[in-house]
Amino acid sequence: MHLHEHNPEPSNPLGLDGIEFVEFATSQPQALGGLLQRMGFAAIARHRSREVMLYRQGSMNLIVNAHPDPLPGMAAPTAAPQLTAIAFRVRDADFAWRRALDLGAWEMPTRASAMELNIPGIHGVGDSLLYFVDRYRDFSIYDVDFVALPGVDRNPPAVAGLHYFGVVQSILEDRTGDWIDFYTQLFGFSVLPGGKYFGIMPKGTLLESPCHKFYMQLIEPPAGSEDIEWEERLLRLGLGAPDVRAAVTALRERGIVFVDRNPIQPSDKGALTQIYLGAVTFELVVSHLAPESARPPVR
Amino acid sequence: MNIDQFGMDTITLAGPLEAKLRAVRDAGFTQIMLQARDIAGHPDGEAAAIEAVRASGLRVTGFQVLRDFEGLSGRLHAYKLDIARAMLAMCHALGSTVLLVCSSTSTHATDDPEAYVRDLRKLAMLAVPFRIRIAYEALSWGRRINEMPQAWDLVLRADRANLGVAIDSYHMLATKTPLDALDEVDPEKILFVQLSDFMWQEVRSPDERINTARHFRVFPGEGAHSADIAELVRRLDAIGYRGDYSFEVFNDDYVQLPLATVAARARQSVRFLVGKVSRRTLPVRANRTAAS
Repeated sequence: MHLHEHNPEPSNPLGLDGIEFVEFATSQPQALGGLLQRMGFAAIARHRSREVMLYRQGSMNLIVNAHPDPLPGMAAPTAAPQLTAIAFRVRDADFAWRRALDLGAWEMPTRASAMELNIPGIHGVGDSLLYFVDRYRDFSIYDVDFVALPGVDRNPPAVAGLHYFGVVQSILEDRTGDWIDFYTQLFGFSVLPGGKYFGIMPKGTLLESPCHKFYMQLIEPPAGSEDIEWEERLLRLGLGAPDVRAAVTALRERGIVFVDRNPIQPSDKGALTQIYLGAVTFELVVSHLAPESARPPVR
Repeated sequence: MNIDQFGMDTITLAGPLEAKLRAVRDAGFTQIMLQARDIAGHPDGEAAAIEAVRASGLRVTGFQVLRDFEGLSGRLHAYKLDIARAMLAMCHALGSTVLLVCSSTSTHATDDPEAYVRDLRKLAMLAVPFRIRIAYEALSWGRRINEMPQAWDLVLRADRANLGVAIDSYHMLATKTPLDALDEVDPEKILFVQLSDFMWQEVRSPDERINTARHFRVFPGEGAHSADIAELVRRLDAIGYRGDYSFEVFNDDYVQLPLATVAARARQSVRFLVGKVSRRTLPVRANRTAAS
């Protein structure tokens, strides 16, 4: 039985070790690709069998999935890009997956074709998936499923030290407790004390990963938002930057527009981009974590 | 209290789902408790049943019932887990945010309470992505958990945000559970309350409880424990419970009477309870179901 063989440390039962990649789904991948390039990501490789592209900057891998045929029970990509998956780095993906199922996670179907990696995943919020990846030190999962684009730098440096900081998840009213249970029990996240926030969007509940490398932020509908369509999903990416103002300057030069009106203005603490493609924003948060930036990704 | 806090249960009525929905709505109720059989047994299929519920405009109080879930192991546990997943999916498709789970009667279940806690936690976790809450009810003939305080104790030990208890007046009356036990329960963790009475004073053996529960229940105000049920509702009101009440009346006679006649009896029962408990109108808890 796996649970006893691995004897993981109790505070980090899966050996969580940061984010391996995040995935967007969209039926208009070129539009999103253009936005990502302005955000500093570069297209690196193309999936062998599906309309899926790998982007990268610094330590961040980002996948754009435009494959029209969704997994059973999932929605096909829409024009407006949706954040549809987070892949967690773990010590042992199979152990992590089995443990999650044993605690009540939903198994997700995978669609690995012949010679492709089968990455174990579970059901996350809404239509999203949470993957477990354990091959990230000595081996690149992308070398199996992706074909490198010719002539591109496979390890483009990060703009202004950007790195994954966290993911904001919208939830419905009175659902904070449910999702706290989800992230604490399945992954070993812990709730930060009330009032401790990063960035310029201080609201909701902040959960810290057991590896202390990233955060999940849960946000219930704000008061007075009865007329706003509010659904449960992965809402936006938080990117850490050691110097937010420098990052804002660098991204503005690349054509990114930031919200600049009270109460949301770029500051030393954080900044928020405008909404792109009807759905996508990026939040910058001051962060000296830069968990992986010092270590170039494996080729 | 007012009519909007009360609903009927499809098990009380004969006929096809659409007729039940119509009768309940025509009697002035705004919510209905559904059973899996309503959906699985619909002649036009599951999607048609779900559409009928949505079209009725009735709010779904909850969905029942997952039986004999906790305490199993090996193949039996895996089997029940599959059943649970399917029921959660149906519950979600109906726009219901509550799944009723009855305490196990299975002789195959362990006596180990830790296993019960582990299984309730697992079920609660399965329900999280679907925004479903698990309402755990002590069946009066449950093998190990057969009184409400035991169910509440297990819910406390499992300690999950979307796990609570369902309270059923029949089972509390059958086991003569003191109403003082309600004072120990967090009203926010009572996910809903099922109301029914029966005609005789006592049901002594588990077999007698089963038989009475399945065939001889009546609406509050019609049976031998009217005062007790009124007191139960008063106590729930006093501890701050503001959730739903559903009439779960298994009765062999009612399923051979015109639906309007039975629904009218349910409506009469609301009048009885409201008259006994209080005349103030409480704000009904916000309706969070998608079916509304």
